[in-house]
Amino acid sequence: MPLFEACDLSVAYVGGGDGAPVRLAGVSFGLEAGAVYDLTGPSGAGKSMLLRACARMMPLAAGRLLLDGTEGNALTCQEWRRRVCLVPQRASLVPGTVRDNLLVPWALKVNRGRPAPSDAQLAQLMDAALLDVPLDRDAARLSGGQAARVALLRAFATRPPVLLLDEVDAALDDESARAVGALTASVAAEGATCLRIRHRPPDGFARGVFRLEGGRLRPGLGAEGDA
Amino acid sequence: MDGGVIDIGYPQLFAASALMLVAGFVSWKLELGQEKSIAVAAVRAFVQLLAMGFLLVYLFRYQTWWLVALVLLAMTLCAAQIAVSRVRNQVGGLWLPVFATLLASSMTIAFIVVEGVVQPDPWYSARQLVPIAGMALGNTMSATAVAVDRLFADLDARSDEMFALVALGATPREAAFPSIKAAVGAGILPTLATMCAAGIVQIPGMMSGQILAGADPVVAAKYQIVVLLMMSAATTLAIVMISLLTFRKRFSREGYFLDPGLR
Repeated sequence: MPLFEACDLSVAYVGGGDGAPVRLAGVSFGLEAGAVYDLTGPSGAGKSMLLRACARMMPLAAGRLLLDGTEGNALTCQEWRRRVCLVPQRASLVPGTVRDNLLVPWALKVNRGRPAPSDAQLAQLMDAALLDVPLDRDAARLSGGQAARVALLRAFATRPPVLLLDEVDAALDDESARAVGALTASVAAEGATCLRIRHRPPDGFARGVFRLEGGRLRPGLGAEGDA
Repeated sequence: MDGGVIDIGYPQLFAASALMLVAGFVSWKLELGQEKSIAVAAVRAFVQLLAMGFLLVYLFRYQTWWLVALVLLAMTLCAAQIAVSRVRNQVGGLWLPVFATLLASSMTIAFIVVEGVVQPDPWYSARQLVPIAGMALGNTMSATAVAVDRLFADLDARSDEMFALVALGATPREAAFPSIKAAVGAGILPTLATMCAAGIVQIPGMMSGQILAGADPVVAAKYQIVVLLMMSAATTLAIVMISLLTFRKRFSREGYFLDPGLR
């Protein structure tokens, strides 16, 4: 049984002003534990919207979401998003230091009672993503690529079973992107699953590829990697 | 209290409307296109204030507690209408929360001030209740409109940040909290500034009025102090209340932020 399943999702997004409306119809897929998947497709095909729908961050016209066999609406939206964690394309940090930003999830009610990671654990994560900045650095002074990694690492630090990554490596140099890919694969290897939107050439970490085109999802044109 | 009051004759009053020509001339010269609004505002101020004056004359003469309550309710309804029309941001369904906020903040605080500090006889005395409640309403009305504008502008500006927070499992309140804080903080400032400038830069409206009407300046000062403290309490209460009652309008039932494409 897949860890995460989307069954017959239909979503419509009118778009704000200039954007053309995007519609998805009857999208179904499953993500196995321990694997990373890529989601490809032309710009405007609705890739980001699909991730958003999976995180229950937009209205579903039809369809079901299942996490480990449990229906989505059996959990509160906040509990769902803690487990099915979307990292948006635009990294947006809160005012404060890098540490403040990495610990943002633990300031939320949904993580109450869970121990926050120590500085050493945070430093280890940052090392793995080749993020070499002090934890006390003001987040406003980070470069685009550094901010993107902080936004990504704070999601990784919460160890969600499902990660939905929306072009998180777009602002990174090749070396950092490769490190983030390896880190993603290692997080998945601990029993999580990950669906990534990417526009970079395949990095070898994805077990499967889904292609979104014309409002429909097609299984990948041949899985890459170790599958 | 009306010992030294000098009445203004109607001819003089109408002559004073010539002062509106200053604003009209500026608008015409700078092509602001505001001539009509200026004329309408002047006529409204004339008609509404005189009507209020006549109304109060009758209210003071025939006052009963329910008649006074009715007048206060009507004033609150109008204040809510004006406050909602002043909000520039596109937010639907504001009327009820604004009305509830104005009623709860202004009327509660005005009532506490009148009954606890001024202690008139009878307790529903319109001569004290109507002007004091009116001052509280006028201030909370402006503060409420500004707070709503500020809150929603800040929420919209922080949409990316809130999106990220909600994606991490934040509730709407957790995601919106920095904006609520900013709106409340900004809303309290003007009242504090007025309190600091009071007596040095300007003699506030109410005290000026009482002095012009021949009251003892020290009595007028005491009233003014009470009124300023009342304003600070009423506006703070109003801003906190309207922010808490309305921020959810930018969130869906499932707790995600409604960006322009989802509204």
